[in-house]
Amino acid sequence: MKRTFLIINFSLLILFASCDKINPNEYTTSTGGSGPSNWENFNVQRALVEKYTGPKCPNCPNADVTLDAAHVQYGDRLIVISVNHPTGQGEPFANQPDLRTEDGSAWDTWLGINSIPAAYLNRDRSKQYSGSMSDIVAAIGDVVERYPLCGIGVTATATGDSIAIDVDVEFFSTIEGATTLTLALTEDSLVYKQSMPDGSRQDDYVHNHMLRDVITATFGDDVPLQGIAGEHKVGHFTYRLPDIEPSIVLSNCHIVAFLSYRDSRKIINSAECTIQ
Amino acid sequence: MKKNISYILILWGLTIATASAQGIMGGHVTGNVQIDGQMSHADSVIGATDVPQRLLMNARADILYTNGDFSAGLRFEAYQDPLLGFDAEYKGQGLANYFVKYNGSKLTLTAGNFYEQFGNGLILRTYEDRYLGLDNSLLGVNVQYRPVDGVTLKALAGKQRYYWSYGDGLVRGVDGEVNLNSILKPMTDSKLRVTLGAGFVSKYEEDGNLTADDPSQLLNLPLNVGAGAVRGDICYGHWSLNAEYAMKGQDPSALNNYTYRTGNAAVVNLNYSQRGFSAGLQAKRVENMGFKSMRSQTGEMLYINYLPAITKNHTYAFLAMYPYATQVMGEQGLQADVMYKIKKGTLLGGKYGTDLHFNSSVVVGLDTTVTGGKGTDGYTVNPGLGPLYYGDASAEVAKKLSKSVKLTATYAYQVFNPVVENESGDLHHNNILIADLSWKVNKKHSLRFEAEWLGSDSYYNKAEEEHTDRRAGDWIMGLVEWNIGRNFFVSLSDQYAYQDGIGNYYNLSVGYTQGATRLQVGYGKQREGMLCIGGVCRLVPASNGLTFSLTTSF
Repeated sequence: MKRTFLIINFSLLILFASCDKINPNEYTTSTGGSGPSNWENFNVQRALVEKYTGPKCPNCPNADVTLDAAHVQYGDRLIVISVNHPTGQGEPFANQPDLRTEDGSAWDTWLGINSIPAAYLNRDRSKQYSGSMSDIVAAIGDVVERYPLCGIGVTATATGDSIAIDVDVEFFSTIEGATTLTLALTEDSLVYKQSMPDGSRQDDYVHNHMLRDVITATFGDDVPLQGIAGEHKVGHFTYRLPDIEPSIVLSNCHIVAFLSYRDSRKIINSAECTIQ
Repeated sequence: MKKNISYILILWGLTIATASAQGIMGGHVTGNVQIDGQMSHADSVIGATDVPQRLLMNARADILYTNGDFSAGLRFEAYQDPLLGFDAEYKGQGLANYFVKYNGSKLTLTAGNFYEQFGNGLILRTYEDRYLGLDNSLLGVNVQYRPVDGVTLKALAGKQRYYWSYGDGLVRGVDGEVNLNSILKPMTDSKLRVTLGAGFVSKYEEDGNLTADDPSQLLNLPLNVGAGAVRGDICYGHWSLNAEYAMKGQDPSALNNYTYRTGNAAVVNLNYSQRGFSAGLQAKRVENMGFKSMRSQTGEMLYINYLPAITKNHTYAFLAMYPYATQVMGEQGLQADVMYKIKKGTLLGGKYGTDLHFNSSVVVGLDTTVTGGKGTDGYTVNPGLGPLYYGDASAEVAKKLSKSVKLTATYAYQVFNPVVENESGDLHHNNILIADLSWKVNKKHSLRFEAEWLGSDSYYNKAEEEHTDRRAGDWIMGLVEWNIGRNFFVSLSDQYAYQDGIGNYYNLSVGYTQGATRLQVGYGKQREGMLCIGGVCRLVPASNGLTFSLTTSF
């Protein structure tokens, strides 16, 4: 019996030690960032949703409705890239432009997209969102509430068909592993045919956030930083608009920049800008 | 989880290898299978939407192998796609549960998925309810040790199931329970029976890098959150008393808006029981006791603990139309329950006696003052009572009118605050009448008739269709059930909102049972509403179509 009580006491001792107590004056600590004055532009965690879709996919407009509502809720904390699935429902209708891209198809293949609509949040492969994606809204909320491991900002200026892009990266925490930076060109307001949930086809469906091109390598360029807290670098890129159909309308375009772990390709943080 | 087949094979391999080594191959296999299907189409009146998949299906198969003190089991689940109201996260199929278990005279050891409860569950209860779509089993190791009669020690560690994966947090716990009558000789034959227990549970979860309301401030989160409880069971003659008190350390989470105030809960049950009469009084107070193994989770999954319901779990349709959901952030309530059997041969008892059943409960919130947002204690609690959440009183009379006819009549009054379902609006006041008549026509045939009426001061506002509760208004319901022998039944029912409400919900069900196999097919309309079991709820959306269910066991 003595041994039993010794076991009980020892177990309780271990477990009671497994309870942290935070003093009221230590509930929060300063992030060490520049403070709220420029917070909204740089030092925030954003959620990047890669949505895999297609013009012949009748359930895809349901996902658009969910993500449009999420945009209203989270504003520029949410970035969406729409990628047309390379086969099946991702193929264009007859006499309609093909919005598939080689880079987008490579992303699609790597993620193992079997059916659409499908989406990944910050390229976290442990969870694929499908159907109307109603569960993605809360997940986006969880992501954008986090303190970012790095800040990222992007600006783009066009001169003719040439675009100068500056990307600003600063690590707030030290991270393990090499990173890559991916730049993508997306376009809104592309009006083309789309299968609808009620079985009909809508000729004037507005396709937003469509991936038109990946400016860097398909899965990003290596970032020449060690990922140590306090490291800061501004990268300069020059990009010439491709001659593709339908032709790109710059005023409807965005540049999306995202920093990822090189090995897992999981996105650490992202930013988006219009082209001036 | 789907990729854990290798673990399962190892566990099964170990079991079989152990069994072989001991020369005890043999044993027996038991199991059960359940397949539920649903087809539904759009119905704008009741708010049902079209199901593009046409057919939804939940299926599961439990298989248990037992050989002496050893057992091993697994459960295969398939949601292709999940039935309406079940979380879309369940979509998919795979092995959801697997374990090996040794159950000796002094030691019980489980490796794999397991369910466990400490006391009333205030600090730990893992369980599964297929109708709620809830499974918070732990994957890990659970040890129970009984060194002497009357003493049980438990220790466990694991991660909780989260649909097809596992939650972020690691759950560890110990519990001890002592029956004084077993270990103290002077109490061995005492009429006073006493059992005491205590437990402690700790959750570890990595830092979340979360900001406070001021985004320049980072929350300093406790990585280890502990909860402890003490409890006692005392029985003396016709009386029994069960009490438990629990405390939880600082646990900033999405449930409490990442505030740091500690939590606590107390439950007391006092019962008196003798032949023909029983009475029970239950009291409960809960403050900030949502305890999850993943701090960002707000749904019903990943609860480490369970807060027992303090309201009666009604089964009649209209009594259950406005169910009460436990408010983990704070509530306090009382419930009284009295049953009395009027003896046969008396004026009121008649030839067969009469059963009376009274139940009443009231639940109110805590009176709190908000003192801050994320990264603060959040609020203070004032003495006194908060808003009324729920109250009901019901009286039920059950009387056998003849050898073959039995009548049960019920009257209930309910007050329901929509805030418990995160809705706004005035209190709903409901009066409910129910008559339930069973008639055993002959040895082969029996009939059951049920009539219900609900009068409510809530009303349906068609102009604000998107925001209006389709339960609102006054309702009537009728049900006829015909049982043919032991194998076959047919049931027809209709619920109709005849005033200030909307909807006519008819249902036809047919069931057939053969041995351990049962098939049930239904066609009709399902009203949108909350399904609550033990204070834990899920939303059941409106549907219009066919349902079927097949269960069998072997």
